[in-house]
This record gives sequence, structure tokens and C-alpha cells, in this order.
Amino acid sequence: MNAVWLIALPLLGAFLLPIIYRRFMVIGYWAGPFILLANLGIAFEIWRDISLNGAQSIAMGGFPAPIGITFYVDKLALLFAIMVILGTLILWFGKKKGPVQEDTLLLLIVAGGCGLALSGDLFNIYVFYEIVAVASYGLAASRRSGAGYAASLRFLILGALGSSLLLLGIALIYAATGTLNLAHLAQLAPQMLNGSVGLAAFALILIGLGVKAELFPVNTWVPEVYATAPARISGLLGGIVSKLALLVVLRLLVLVYADTSAPLLLLSLGVLGVLTGELAALRATDLRQVLAYSSIGQLGLVAIAFAIPGPAGIIAGIAIALHHALVKPALFMLTEAWGGQLNRLVGAAQVSMLSALLFIVLVLSLIGIPPLPGFWAKFLLVKGALGIENGWYHIAIAVVLIATVIETAYFLRIVRFMFQEKTQQTVDKPYKCDLVPALSLLTIFFVSLFTIGLIGKSLTTVAEEAADRKAYIDKTLPSEKANGNLI
Amino acid sequence: MTIEESALLYILSYTGAIGLILLGISAMVMCRHLIRIIFGLILLESGVNLFLITVGYRVNAVAPILVDGKIPEAAMVDPIPQALVLTAIVIGVAVQALALALVIKTYKAYRTLDTQELAQELAQETGTRIVKGTPVYLVAPAGKIVEEKSI
Amino acid sequence: MNLREASSLIFIVGLGILLTAVIKIVAFDNTITGGVGATILNQAPSDLGTANIVTSVLLGYRGLDTLGELTVLFVAATAIGLVLGQRRVDAALEPDAGFILRIAADLLFPFLIMLGAYIILHGHLTPGGGFQGGAILAAAFFIPILASPATPLNHRVSSSVEGLAGAAFIIIGLLALFDKGYFLAPLLGKGEMGQLFSAGSLPLLYIAVGLKVGAELAGLLARLQETEASD
Repeated sequence: MNAVWLIALPLLGAFLLPIIYRRFMVIGYWAGPFILLANLGIAFEIWRDISLNGAQSIAMGGFPAPIGITFYVDKLALLFAIMVILGTLILWFGKKKGPVQEDTLLLLIVAGGCGLALSGDLFNIYVFYEIVAVASYGLAASRRSGAGYAASLRFLILGALGSSLLLLGIALIYAATGTLNLAHLAQLAPQMLNGSVGLAAFALILIGLGVKAELFPVNTWVPEVYATAPARISGLLGGIVSKLALLVVLRLLVLVYADTSAPLLLLSLGVLGVLTGELAALRATDLRQVLAYSSIGQLGLVAIAFAIPGPAGIIAGIAIALHHALVKPALFMLTEAWGGQLNRLVGAAQVSMLSALLFIVLVLSLIGIPPLPGFWAKFLLVKGALGIENGWYHIAIAVVLIATVIETAYFLRIVRFMFQEKTQQTVDKPYKCDLVPALSLLTIFFVSLFTIGLIGKSLTTVAEEAADRKAYIDKTLPSEKANGNLI
Repeated sequence: MTIEESALLYILSYTGAIGLILLGISAMVMCRHLIRIIFGLILLESGVNLFLITVGYRVNAVAPILVDGKIPEAAMVDPIPQALVLTAIVIGVAVQALALALVIKTYKAYRTLDTQELAQELAQETGTRIVKGTPVYLVAPAGKIVEEKSI
Repeated sequence: MNLREASSLIFIVGLGILLTAVIKIVAFDNTITGGVGATILNQAPSDLGTANIVTSVLLGYRGLDTLGELTVLFVAATAIGLVLGQRRVDAALEPDAGFILRIAADLLFPFLIMLGAYIILHGHLTPGGGFQGGAILAAAFFIPILASPATPLNHRVSSSVEGLAGAAFIIIGLLALFDKGYFLAPLLGKGEMGQLFSAGSLPLLYIAVGLKVGAELAGLLARLQETEASD
């Protein structure tokens, strides 16, 4: 099965959805989830295929790399694509019926996200990144409130600034090397990009991708947007879409900037993000803002993990990213009814014990209490960072441990509020339609809890395959083994 | 064109591009009026596009178009940056249009286009909530109960 | 010195630094011809048969980027539709723009349509193509609305054209997938270079692009004009 279907199918659905919706409203209502299910099936089929035959490299239009655009489908890319499709599908359950444009934008985020994960060409990555970004600006404003428009506008301005800097970085890389294909760049990089030009281009690209990845310092949009967007959209943006941007950074680090000092830049931004995020979460008074700042902190952890060279860093990063993608959207679903000031949550446990227990389990996993999956993810991070001789990584470990302590403080404070005796009814029971996605995410969570060994083994193979730079080059540019240069 | 003239052409073009980029970034960062920030965005995107086009220029080269099916004797400029800039211009237009639509709606909601006032309104709205029509009491850090203003 | 002079000084200094840094790394003459661009200049006439090599890059070698660009425009138009909502009721009651403007708009309409169609159809022969022609088509449909707001744009028609043209682009790509095994591979042979009917499926792709962009931009502009104004 060709991986292009992962993008072509949602795009076709999105283009035709307004027309279908006008004529046959019932079909239009169910078309979105149906297309996502079909996409999921295609993705699993491709996973089976590359488990048997190894990673695929697809040339678009039949033009070989580096003249044309190529897609590189390995397990890491497919894993993130499946995460996007599955996450959007789960968050579609129980969604209140809104204007058809919301469904269209969700389908377009899936199409753009899959393309972003699979693409092997720098400018193609920029185009798919823009698709995801503009769709998220639209979805962030979908609650139609004044605050939503203002927050979405702030998001758009920061995002557009970042995208222009991303394009400038790509222009610098093209000026220095003359090519845009990632495999060809991986070949040319040791000679051409290991100087100040390469680092400057990487810094610009990092700022550009950092807006979506909630990196310091371009993450000021996060608390406002998560507080004013619908809870499902906040869960989707923070839990799932932000990981895609970090995946692109990882690909660049592994392929193009392998032996330079570029990972240190990512490490420092990650450390700053963790510190600022967790400290701000300590002082936040609104549950959605707490979750937003905690999300900044967790994404800082993923950045630190991806800054560790070698498969150890990749597996830690994937573990934290997947774990956060399960936990954070589920937490956001709870805020649909429980969002607002923290002291409103007094006595919430009596209102709905199920939701309170859900909250406790998810929060304990975020903090990293064994034997929950969050512990394994953080353990992998610390273990990977300990293996590096550089002193900066040890500082990062210290920061991660401090952040864990701070997380414990503010999350347990919320739990204490929930279990206090209530004096008056200030909070509602969460609606069933909001709990359904949360519970389905929790089911996946518990399944992973019991199969942790199996998951660890398969993630190790994914990480080792992803860290193999030579395999990527050889698979994409097969005819260059002889002389190593196309021109 | 001699080498000196071509060097001058390159320097002028890059100066224009980098100048536009710097102006755009400073406008976006320092201005308080939303429309000026959007103008800064337009300048920034124009600067990046000009930069990208200049990367593709070759000295004494012609446009990459085959007249009468014959390849021209002179060299042709690099066609890839031109295709990239076409895409980038369209994407830029799309983002600017969405920005203007959001500015319209923000103005309708808050009657101001000043970013600092908007930030204050936003902080107020995301810090307090109304539950079923009754104002929710905030507990200030000193333990006093502060009644919020109704929205 | 005050803030204005200080910021101007910082601007000039920063400009100078960045300029010297950039000048050092870029090509100054024709000797640096390496890179993918030179390969495309050599191969495009025989691969795709278009006289305009930028078109062969846009629709052939980097066709997926063009599809992505169409999608970004579609996403922006959809997001604007979501944000701005329905048209205000008194948009159609605004006064007309005066006799000269109304007549000029009606006279310009056929010429703009012709110009837009010409640029779209000749995209593979001369500079131009779907996006440029589509913008002219959008202007052709939008100027009469500005001149006489009593005849608003029919959003159903424009969004149907938009959706169907975009779907046509993808379907042509999928047909290439079934036929040749690669998405968006060029179909229908090359033809004779320089003729209107040459370069296979590339002019068809450009027609889809032109119609989509025209309908989309016209709808987008019409929504911005119809939305509730501040009072």
C-alpha cells in the first residue's frame, strides 16, 4: 500500500466534505470518522509491510531523489502518523455537532500531520507544517468567543513569525548546499553545513518549529489558547500536534546535524522550557492553565530527550511523547466540566468519584510514579542522559528531577482540593460524552501498563532504525553508493 | 555585466531582503497596534521571499523559459527558488487573510486594537469563570475571599 | 540619543553584520552550477516537455508542494468561513458605487475573465500559471461585487467549484498512481514543446489550480466584505 493514501484520502475528504454536507447531511456527519478509520487501517497495513520488508522510500511523481520529493516511511514516522490519526479519531467521539468547517479542519490537520511525519524534503515539510498551523489557528478560535479570537490571533502572529524564520532557515540551507532533500543533505552536510551557516540555519529552523513544539521562548501563546479553545482542541494541539514538530527537529538532528553542537541548542531550550513551565504551573490558578504549563514542561522533557545523541535519546523521547499524548488529552477532557478556578474543585470527588480516580491515575503517571508508564519514560530519559559525558546533560538531569518535585507539589494540591469536604455545589459532573474519549485513552494506557516489556522492545527497534543515518541515505539515494555525489 | 556590476546587484538585493526582514521583525515585536503588527508580518514575508529569489539568481542569466523550443545560449537562473517563492507567497496571503479576519472579530468583541489592552482583557477572562450565572469566589493567597467582578 | 535614533543605529549595524555574513556564502557567478537546479534545467525539457521550466518544477518535480499550497489556501478559506460566519443582513443594502464604477466594473468583467483564462491555459508556455490566473479570475468576480453590493457572490457555487477543482487535482494524481505507480506522475505523454496542447496532464492540473484559486479567493474576499462591520 502506498503511503500517499494517508495524505490523499483525508485531503480528498476535506475538499469534498462541504459539498457532501450540503446535500446529504447524514453522510457528511459520519464521513470524517469513517475516513479516519480507513486511514488507520491503511497505516496498520503499511506498518505490517515495513515490518517485513524494511523502510520504504517513495518518490513522488516517479522522479528520484534529489530532483523530486521523496517520502521516507520508517517505523518512527509511521508511529507518529498513527498517533495523529488515532488521537483525532478518539477525540472525535462525542463531539457536539458544529459547523462543517470544524470537521474539515480536523481532517486537514490529520492530512498535514501525516505528511509532516512522512516527508523527506525540507520545503515539503514547510508546506505541511503550514497546513497544520493554519488549521490549528482556525480550530483554536472555534469556540467563537472574544477571548478565543484574541488568543488565536496571538497564536497566529507568533506562528507566522516562526514560519517566516523557518523559511529563512531553509533558504540559507539551500543557498549553502543547493538541495532540499534530507538524504542528499545528510550526504553533503559534513562538508558544507558544519560551520556557522549551518548552525544559524538550524537556530532559525528551531525557532520556527518551536512555536508549534512549545519551546522556550516562543510558547507564550500556550496558556491563552489552551484556556480559551474547546477542550478537545487543546488536547489535540498540546498532546499530539506538538510532537510532530519535535519529530522534524529530531530528523534534522539525526540526519543533517549529526556531529555538530546543534543538539546543545535544543538541550538548552528544553531545559529552559521545563523550568519556566513547571514554575509557572505552580502559580497558576486555573486548571486549564495548570495543564497548559505542565504541557510546556513535558514538551521540554521531550526536547531534552531528543537532544541526547543516539538511539537512547530517541527511545526516551518517543516514550515521553507517546505517554504525554495519552495522558494530556484525557486530562483536558476532564476540564470540559471541571475547568476554571482551582478552588472550585473543592469536593469534586463526591460529585464524580470515577473522574477523580481518573485524574489521580493520570496525574501520578505524569509525575512518574512506578509502576505507571510515566515512570518508565522518565527513567529512560535519565538513563540516556547519564550515558553522555557532557556536563550539560547532567545539569539537565538535575532540572528534570527538580521539575518532578514541582509537579508533585501542584498536582497533589489539586487532588487535595478534590477530596476535601464540599460546602456548596460549585462543580458539575462531567458529561458522558466527554468521559468517553478520556476512558478510551485510559484503556490504551492500561494496556500499555501491562505490556510494558513488549512495548519497550519494539520501541528499541524503532529507535535504532531511526538513528541509522546511513540506512536512510542508502534507501533514498540508491544510485549514489558509487561516487556519493549526484552532480 | 561585469563582475563588479553583478556583485553590486547581489549586494543591493540582499540588502533589501535583509532590511525588510529586520524591519518586519522589529515592527512585529515593538508595535502595539494590531494592524501595524500585521504590516510587519507582510514586510517580513516579503523580505524572506526576496531573499529566496536572490539565492537563485545567476549572473548574466535569462529566465528559464525555452523560446521556440530552443535552449537559450546564456545560462538560465535556478528555477527551484522561483517555484518555492510562488508557494510561499500564496501561503503568506492565506495567513494574512486569516489574520485580518481574526482582527475583525477581535475588534468586534473588545472594541480595541491595542495589544496591551487585549492582553489584560484576556488575562481577566481566562482567570475567572462564571458558573451557572453565579460569580465564583476567588480565594486570594492571603486567605481572604475576594469577589470577582461580573463579566 | 533617543529611542528612534538608537533603534535606527541598531538596525543599520545588524543589517551590515548579517549582510556580510550572507554575502560570504552565496554564489557570485556562473561557475557554481552544482545543485539540483542545474540538473532540473538540463532534464526538464526531455522529462516533461514544458517550455516554462518553472512550471515543470511546480507541477512535475514538486507537484506535492503545489497540492500542499492549494490545501493551505483551502484551510485558510475554511477557517475564515468558520470565524466570520454568516453574512450580515444589511450587506446587500449598501449603496452602489456610482455610475462610472458600476459601468467600468461590468465592462472589465469579460476582459479579466479572458486574461485570467489565457494566463492559466498558457502556464506551461509563458510565465504565469494557475495561481496567477486564478488571482485575476478572483478579481474579475470580486470587482462587480464591490461596485454594486446588491448582487452578492453566490457562496454555494464558489465553494462547490473550489471543492470539485481541488478534488480533481487529487484525482488526477491518484490516476497517475494507478497508471504509473507514482502519485502525481505526468500523464498523457509529452507532445510537441511550445504547442498549447503539450506537456500531458500538466495544463489540466493548472486548470484545476486556476479554478480552485479563483473561486477560493473570490469567496474569501466576499466574506471579508460581507462580515459585520463595526458600528
